[in-house]
Amino acid sequence: MKYVILVKQVPDTTRIKVDENGNLIRQGVPSILDPYCEYALDMVCRIRKPEDSVIVVSMGPPQAKESIFRCLELGANEAYLLSDKAFAGADVFATSRTLTAFIRKFAADYDLIFCGKQAADGDTAEVPAETAAMLNVQQFCYSENIIISDTIKVTQNYNDEIRVCTVPKGSVLSVSIGDINRRVPSISDHIKALNIEIKTLDRIALGLGMYSVGIKGSKTKIESSYSPRYEHSGKIIDGTDPSEAAKLLIKEVL
Amino acid sequence: MIHSRKLESDSPYLTDESKLSGAADMLFIPDDEEDVVKIVVSHNSSKTPLTISAMRTGVCGGCVPKEGDIVSMEKFNKIIGIGKDDKGYFIRTQAAVTVKDLNEIIRKKLYSELQNITDDAIECILSERTDYFYPVDPTELNGSIGGNISTNASGPRTYKYGPTRDWVRRIRIILSDGNVLDILRGEIKAKNRVFSIPVDGKNITVHIPSYEFNRDVKNTTGLMTGPDMDLIDLFIGSEGMFGIITEADIYITEWHPLMSNIIFFPSDDNAYNFVKEFVNSHIDPEFIEFFDTGSLNLIRKSKKNDPKFTKMPDIPDYAGSAIFFDISNDENIVSKYNELSQIAKIYGGSLDHSWCGHELKDRERFFAFRHSVPQTIFEYVASLKGSMPGMHKMGTDMSVPLDHLDEMIDSYSEVLTSKKLEYVIFGHIGNGHLHVEIILKSMDDLSKAKKAYRTLALRSIELGGSPSAEHGIGKIKSEYIELLYGKQGVEDIKKTKRELDPNWIFCPGNVVE
Repeated sequence: MKYVILVKQVPDTTRIKVDENGNLIRQGVPSILDPYCEYALDMVCRIRKPEDSVIVVSMGPPQAKESIFRCLELGANEAYLLSDKAFAGADVFATSRTLTAFIRKFAADYDLIFCGKQAADGDTAEVPAETAAMLNVQQFCYSENIIISDTIKVTQNYNDEIRVCTVPKGSVLSVSIGDINRRVPSISDHIKALNIEIKTLDRIALGLGMYSVGIKGSKTKIESSYSPRYEHSGKIIDGTDPSEAAKLLIKEVL
Repeated sequence: MIHSRKLESDSPYLTDESKLSGAADMLFIPDDEEDVVKIVVSHNSSKTPLTISAMRTGVCGGCVPKEGDIVSMEKFNKIIGIGKDDKGYFIRTQAAVTVKDLNEIIRKKLYSELQNITDDAIECILSERTDYFYPVDPTELNGSIGGNISTNASGPRTYKYGPTRDWVRRIRIILSDGNVLDILRGEIKAKNRVFSIPVDGKNITVHIPSYEFNRDVKNTTGLMTGPDMDLIDLFIGSEGMFGIITEADIYITEWHPLMSNIIFFPSDDNAYNFVKEFVNSHIDPEFIEFFDTGSLNLIRKSKKNDPKFTKMPDIPDYAGSAIFFDISNDENIVSKYNELSQIAKIYGGSLDHSWCGHELKDRERFFAFRHSVPQTIFEYVASLKGSMPGMHKMGTDMSVPLDHLDEMIDSYSEVLTSKKLEYVIFGHIGNGHLHVEIILKSMDDLSKAKKAYRTLALRSIELGGSPSAEHGIGKIKSEYIELLYGKQGVEDIKKTKRELDPNWIFCPGNVVE
């Protein structure tokens, strides 16, 4: 099998503070491999066989190599960085187009593509589905579990719906859950990773025009961003008499 | 403005991480130096003892009052500015800024609200291509700079960078008569073990104790001495005996990318023997830390039971001991690892049986792993306080020259096993400085542990070491001053104390009774 994992380097959002004007203070905040991408990598590493190929690819500035390197330490055996000044400012459309161009040109014989469900900095969760659409393959977002035997079965969790699907080869999966306890590579893993070249590909190498990538190739412009609010109606049970309250609660829940 | 209030008997200000309990009437929290002077002058005139406190992270009861009042410097938590001299950049900071906050400001380059202490220092440091950091890592990063200076704190990185003392450029200190002493390293030196300190238009004569201070090992037992020593070094490590530090200049140094590593070994002996060769290799580690089987089991247990530790990596089942070290993540890293691999193989280790991390996130996890041993012990001892109020932590802090570490380890085993005490060993093996934490279960254990500690302290002295390598003496270990320096040494320290604090108001019970 040949697995391709699309990864992103993001600022460590657990360390970002907000100033008095509500702006994110990014200065001095270290970058990390996006945690959801790491979940995707972990999922692939769990199912891969020794002879399988695990290709990791990221679009980003040169420093994104650090996150790609972590993927190599954790088990990937081939790595690409898509880096070009022209890629700057890409929205999900331009990003997906760039990633799609890479897959068509450098990994066309892949079996499955894995992504994190969303990047911790942008949170759009659109690149996996959009890349699948551009490749004209099926997408299985919010995957939590995968079993490979004669067929490939994946469990998707949409919060209000859980689906178990058979996945055809060539599909794109996004992974939404993993072990929060990050894996730690051994020194041997690190040395092995040092011996793998991270190949850098620019716009020309991918065969893309100036107006297909980056801000020029983008279809959207962000005017403002905010976290969605989920409001659930609740019911208050009077707890003056705890045993009566417990009975009411059981009645409500069951 | 001076904030003050009467202290209740269960106030957190009456204890520190040693879990020793104290007693005091009033708590004073000054806003600025003028307030500190007022508090000191009034206490000096009424001869009321005044114990200095800040973050209360010490483990020897240094900030735990025996009587009188407490002055807490907790509001002195601002970083003032940046300067540069021949030795490099320094940060001017108030005394209660924590080591963690200091490093955070430097790492994030949050200099916009700081002052230029020397011309254009901020512009200059911002234009540098390298990053900077404060290299002393006292393990407890929530400790204050003032507390670190008072105890000459060290920690794992002392292996490469030395203790706090080596990084202090200047201190500002309030003496018992309310005079403010501003001491810049290099300005006042002793002559034939006597200082003549200019204060308020006259000179105070201060005698340096006659004993020789052991500088061959990590050592915080008693005052530093030397025939022509710098005045600043008399105050560094004096544990609040002579005055209140309000401000300090702390040097910082160039940061370089680091790789944190943990190699697991089958047994404690394997790891000890590995270290003996490691220190003589071409690898230049920042520190070398050791965890014995008991420590690893303690971490395994904490991880299972305490949600705080859930993000810590699982310790592999095959691990019987571990060596933790940082090395520079540079172009020579593979050759360093190759050399390490050769040594590790001899002692049953392997680079396959290891962890490494270069991202800050992983390196912090390794340090959390390191810190979880003492943290678990602190919490365990605190949990015993309810049923045994007199209980406090009993951990050794003894250093010996590395050549004698084997003999010291044998002594730990002989003495503690003969007293049927349970213990774990971890810590700064690269400096010949292991911490032995005794897991106390009863007051009887505490009394046995105190006797064992005394025997072990004597043993460390016999082997050319120090009974207190980095935690200081505080109120828990004052008897070891006499063990190391004899009765004359104790009298000498008292004389120095009387010369600088004639009414003996500052921190009574610290270092000497």
